[in-house]
Amino acid sequence: MSASIYINSKNVFLDTVSSKDYVQLDRVSTIYQSLKDSIKKPLKMILLYGKPGTGKSMFLTKLFHDLSSSQIVHLYKTPILDESEFYKTLAQDIFSTKYNGELNFTQFMKIVGNSEIGSIPVVLLDEAQLYSDILMEKIRLISDTRTIKFVITLHKTEKEDLIAKEHFQTRIWETIELENASSSELKIYIQKKLMKANCFDTANMFTGKSVNRIYKLTNGNYRDTNKLLYTLFDIYAAYEDNYQLSNIGTTQIPIKLIEMSAIHTGLINA
Amino acid sequence: MLNTRELEKRWLKHKIKSYIPHVVITLSTITIILVIFAFINLDEGDKNLFLVDENKTQTVTQKQVQDETIAVETKPYVEIKQITKTAPEIEAIVTPAPLKSTLENNSSSSEKSLKLSPSLNFINKMQHSSLPYYNNEPITKKKTQTLKKAPQKEIVEEIQDLKVEETIHIPEEEVKRVTINRRNVADDIKHIIKRFKKNNNPALSLFVAKKYYELGDYHKAYNYALITNQINRDIEASWIVFSKSLVKLNEKEMAIKTLKEYISNSHSSTAQILLDEIISGKFK
Repeated sequence: MSASIYINSKNVFLDTVSSKDYVQLDRVSTIYQSLKDSIKKPLKMILLYGKPGTGKSMFLTKLFHDLSSSQIVHLYKTPILDESEFYKTLAQDIFSTKYNGELNFTQFMKIVGNSEIGSIPVVLLDEAQLYSDILMEKIRLISDTRTIKFVITLHKTEKEDLIAKEHFQTRIWETIELENASSSELKIYIQKKLMKANCFDTANMFTGKSVNRIYKLTNGNYRDTNKLLYTLFDIYAAYEDNYQLSNIGTTQIPIKLIEMSAIHTGLINA
Repeated sequence: MLNTRELEKRWLKHKIKSYIPHVVITLSTITIILVIFAFINLDEGDKNLFLVDENKTQTVTQKQVQDETIAVETKPYVEIKQITKTAPEIEAIVTPAPLKSTLENNSSSSEKSLKLSPSLNFINKMQHSSLPYYNNEPITKKKTQTLKKAPQKEIVEEIQDLKVEETIHIPEEEVKRVTINRRNVADDIKHIIKRFKKNNNPALSLFVAKKYYELGDYHKAYNYALITNQINRDIEASWIVFSKSLVKLNEKEMAIKTLKEYISNSHSSTAQILLDEIISGKFK
């Protein structure tokens, strides 16, 4: 086993949103395909929602990556909270209209009306729960013109179910919910992720028992799992540096190490 | 780099914390189970005590029955003696003059004569005689009957004959009882052995030893006396039964040695008496 394998494995679980890191899981693939099909439909808006860490951003990034070669797609990972700035950004990116000074909704709608784009551009808005209700209402009005198609992602919060809001209900929208992984999905996710980075040895270290423990700690949340496994391999690397690998074993992931990682990441309050 | 030692310490603390509730639950469950068992055992103990009491009462009744049988065996002699005692009394009682007066009192109540006076001697003797026997009535009946018919000596003879007949009948019944009683003892011994095996009570083993000794099974009596002695060395009866059984098993020397050893420690007078009897040959 090479000395850097734990560091390589650790880097696999860095919390980055990249289409390269997208892991094909059966359920996720089905959802992704249905999202792609929805974009082809004459829908005004598509809503992607789910709890934090369920892979919404990854989904959106993957979609952007896949669609960018065939149609006009714009991804906004961070929300543009200022209304004028939002219109100006859209005008420049979609219609290549640079606008100096303030741009209001009426002026933007004029730009949209004068546009001569053949295909309908797709705008992907991540973290849409941060947009104000007024701006969300205006986004809905823009989508009503059928000149721009919006795919937005939302956090499904317990305090306030944003989907229940009126402006989300009054239009025919496609809504796709993303959920946490199951225990078996989590195992596939971890192993596929490691195998993608040629970390076969570490991928084989994950037994059903260890994945179940990880699942119990993270509840199948991808972000938490990434965080936990990053720390786990960090601990492995530390043991390796101290020549203590024999103490913990390298054939399978010990529960002790998983719990130590959970303590370090705060998943276990110790 | 991560401080793995610190992390291990935190993990250990967490592990201990997480095990505490399990340990508490397990311990409390065990204690609850133990308490329940203790209660159950206590109940059983009470029952056993009750059974021991019952047994004691049984043995007491057996003893009573045995005593009765002994009494029955001796009854003929005793009663004959009593009769011999009562006979002269009757002879004394049955003096012509007062008896006649009583007879006259009984038979001719209508012809009561004020001249007759009760014999004080007769009353006093009646008081002193104080016969506690249930068969007094027939005797008095016989008395009256015989008094009417025959003179005094004949009456006495008849009474004696009658009494003898009665005493002959009673032992036959009692002999039957004895055989039944023995069967009960054998069953009791089995039952008591069972109970002894359960609770290891020296009182039970001593009882068994005594019973076997009584039944003539000296080898078993020896064993159970030895068992009793092993449980509790201070039970004098176990030493006695043990020594007696040894004598019966032709181990006189060993019995003497055992008793001497016991006497040297306990200074038991009973044991000393037994020892003297064994040495002198009175006890064989």
